[in-house]
Amino acid sequence: MSLYENIYTQVQVRPTVPDPGVVIEENKDRAGGAFVQLLGYIGNAQVGPIYLGYLGVLSLLFGFFAFEIIGLNMLASVHWDPIQFIRQLFWLALEPPKAEYGLRIPPLAEGGWWLMAGFFLTMSVLLWWARMYRRAYVLGLGSHNAWAFASAIFLMVSIGFIRPVLMGHWSEAVPFGIFPHLDWTAAFSIRYGNLYYNPFHMLSIAFLYGSALLFAMHGATILAVGRFGGEREVEQIVYRGTAAERAALFWRWTMGFNATMESIHRWAWWFAVLTPLTGGIGILLTGTVVDNWFLWGVQHGLVPTYPHAFPPVVDPSLVPGASQ
Amino acid sequence: MAMLSFEKKYRIRGGTLIGGDLFDFWVGPFFVGFFGVTTAICVAVGVAMIAWGAVLGHTWNPWQISIAPPDLKYGLAFAPLREGGLWQVITGCAIGAFVSWALREVEICRKLGMAYHVPAAFGMAIFAYVTLVVIRPVLMGAWGYGFPYGILSHLDWVSNTGYQYLHFHYNPAHMLAISFFFANALALGMHGSLILSASNPRSGLNVKTTESEDTFFRDAIGYSIGTLGIHRLGVFLSVSAVFFSAVCIVISGPFYTHGWPEWWNWWLNLPVWR
Amino acid sequence: MKNIVLFFSAIAFVLLTAAMLLTAGWTAPPIHSTQQGFRGLSMGQLSTPRSERLLKEANKLPDGFEKASATGDRATAVYQNVQVLKDLSADQFNRVMLAMTAWVAPPDQGCAYCHNVDKMADDSLYTKRVARRMLEMTRQVNVDWKNHVAINGAGVTCYTCHRGQPVPANIWFNEPPPRTGGAAATNDGFGHPTKANGSTAMSGNPFAPLDDKKSIIRIIGTNALPHGAGASMPSTYQNYALMIAISNSLGVNCTFCHNSRSFLGWTESTPQRVTAYHGIQMVRDLNAKFLDPLKSDLPAQRLGPLGDGPKANCATCHQGASKPLLGVSMAKDWPELGGATSQ
Repeated sequence: MSLYENIYTQVQVRPTVPDPGVVIEENKDRAGGAFVQLLGYIGNAQVGPIYLGYLGVLSLLFGFFAFEIIGLNMLASVHWDPIQFIRQLFWLALEPPKAEYGLRIPPLAEGGWWLMAGFFLTMSVLLWWARMYRRAYVLGLGSHNAWAFASAIFLMVSIGFIRPVLMGHWSEAVPFGIFPHLDWTAAFSIRYGNLYYNPFHMLSIAFLYGSALLFAMHGATILAVGRFGGEREVEQIVYRGTAAERAALFWRWTMGFNATMESIHRWAWWFAVLTPLTGGIGILLTGTVVDNWFLWGVQHGLVPTYPHAFPPVVDPSLVPGASQ
Repeated sequence: MAMLSFEKKYRIRGGTLIGGDLFDFWVGPFFVGFFGVTTAICVAVGVAMIAWGAVLGHTWNPWQISIAPPDLKYGLAFAPLREGGLWQVITGCAIGAFVSWALREVEICRKLGMAYHVPAAFGMAIFAYVTLVVIRPVLMGAWGYGFPYGILSHLDWVSNTGYQYLHFHYNPAHMLAISFFFANALALGMHGSLILSASNPRSGLNVKTTESEDTFFRDAIGYSIGTLGIHRLGVFLSVSAVFFSAVCIVISGPFYTHGWPEWWNWWLNLPVWR
Repeated sequence: MKNIVLFFSAIAFVLLTAAMLLTAGWTAPPIHSTQQGFRGLSMGQLSTPRSERLLKEANKLPDGFEKASATGDRATAVYQNVQVLKDLSADQFNRVMLAMTAWVAPPDQGCAYCHNVDKMADDSLYTKRVARRMLEMTRQVNVDWKNHVAINGAGVTCYTCHRGQPVPANIWFNEPPPRTGGAAATNDGFGHPTKANGSTAMSGNPFAPLDDKKSIIRIIGTNALPHGAGASMPSTYQNYALMIAISNSLGVNCTFCHNSRSFLGWTESTPQRVTAYHGIQMVRDLNAKFLDPLKSDLPAQRLGPLGDGPKANCATCHQGASKPLLGVSMAKDWPELGGATSQ
């Protein structure tokens, strides 16, 4: 006998016209609205209408500027060859200025474009934050989304702006580019003595993995009580039904304690928010307060010792008469 | 008692996979079941082994305690207890405990009339652990490829394993897994925020409905996946993150031995643009 | 229209997947590996039976030469214009000449590659002048750099670099500065995968520190707390790119020399790191003393795009093996070149 496992929606129910959304003052600024069958298998089939206000349009415009600056510089770096552009796309970069420029504005070709792209991108993200805050306000919703977003922006601004300013040069910041930003990540850990020994890095990873754990747990739980209407979470918060009860009891019987339909979302919110928050703190402390996390770990009793597998090795540059 | 106000009516017999009524009871809030017993045994033995391993080490500093796998030279054989055998026993107990936990979750689902999504998702996490300590070592020919059990020592293993491939960030499955982890964190933040913002609106206003939730995300980003869809998405993102993590480590070594940046030469050297 | 797009996308997807699965350098078990540190640290080298076989084939030794007697007429008595090999007998001198012909000169030119065959003593051909410097260099490596090339007595000969070719594979030149034109970002040459930088997006010239004694290789902070301005991120990229290039040159990974939990710490590192340190000093020395100055003798087609002389890096000798020629010593049979048995 085949069972419905709640993986995809077998029968899509939809209105005759796309739902225009809760009425707000600026209804006229909403545009679009269509149904997409493929999406309907997983979630809502309706795409749009999207709200196009000043904040959003400005944000997209600034974002477009940043995107174009990055993209055109990358295209220039392969001498405007579109084939090489696609071929080398993952490697192409827009690098920050070299160390000797400090925090001054460098020439365009020596990091000026990077600074400009970073400025436009940051402005775009901040405008988008304002848009998220406003959309919630106008609908009478709490501002939780905006504050969660703020945590992510904190990390982005820490890595790309605050820390370079604290360190005194733009060259500390992250380049634009797929592989280049990964090179930055590896080089950053190498330069500052192995970031695994940074306790805030540990916390951030714990919250990142914890977020994966939590969404797997919560998502699976709700799907498992779908037959009782478990996905109607706000309703179950206000008026606990058998879905919320069974969900709670599952975890209580499994691990001895449980959340409620509301509090699980608080667990979720905090884990997701603390990931970039602690990560950003760890970034800000690196190079400013701690220059080598492994050596810091040695001082604070973190570092495990292993039996030696080979005879002791001495720095050859310390041997008298050695070249440096 | 440790029961919630509504719990009593749910505490019925039935749903067990093995053992019938024999282990069908609760201890405090915990359901026992046959697999609760096996979990308890595996945990007890495993923790005792870990404690013994800590005694054999020279520290009780929790950051530094480490129980290491055997030398590569022992291959896939049992190593002497003090030379990595302890690690092997602990690994066996861990797998036993994790699988028992998952099967216990199945029994609890059956008792509560729930579907099996939770133990299924947990199964993917167990699969990732088994990949790290069983599948990959077996493919490479020695238990010594497993990671040591220690807070900082397992990170030393991660660091060195990564640098064995010169620049592990270039591993394509690793890139995919990280993307899924970050997307999951984003989606979790968005979902937690949405529910809390609807049930905790601005002061003085009524709790909001699903219509407001959908409208918020349609206004903001043009699409609202919906109450059911977000939970499917959450399971998909988190389980994919774990799956591709398992993939990224099982291909490193058994199926690829060079530096990961070099792997990309297949793209760079395609005949159309070599 | 939609169907056409879908059709071609599907074709592209299938072709790309096939390319990835078939040409990306995958292997299959059995994997060979070594363990280089305490168990559970995951320090060690990985190889496959196929890679080991290919390495063996690439490092086959050339035919040997019968030993020459050190007694008898001096080379200076028999030949004119002998400047470097003054200490050799004529027999030994001839032996060296035969070897160089076999190991370096193109077979169709033989002695004429370096010599004016009508007047063997004259220095009209640049190759003879360069060969003279090469002999000095080989001797100096064997005598002064035992801490890198002769820890177990191996040493070097002409063959170690030249391998039968007049110009060794794996030499390098300075790169012209990045040129993107107009006001576009130069990115300091970053962002392009090459064989030298190991297909990463870092420096286009990872070997630059091997030709510049002042360039910083040590970039990691040496104290837990900052003490003044440390190395910058650009220096770190340069270092990392160099380390990747060294790893690829030797066919090893980072754990050959380092315990990556602390790249800095010498107590964490393997003895090979000391050897590598001396190797870097040696390459810098050879580039500065012998190879860069060759540019005044070499014709234009042997120079780099900026007109500089050829330079050596680790791959020039190692050619993908952690010990050149898999550690087999040719130099022990070549006291003429400063090998182990010489004074």
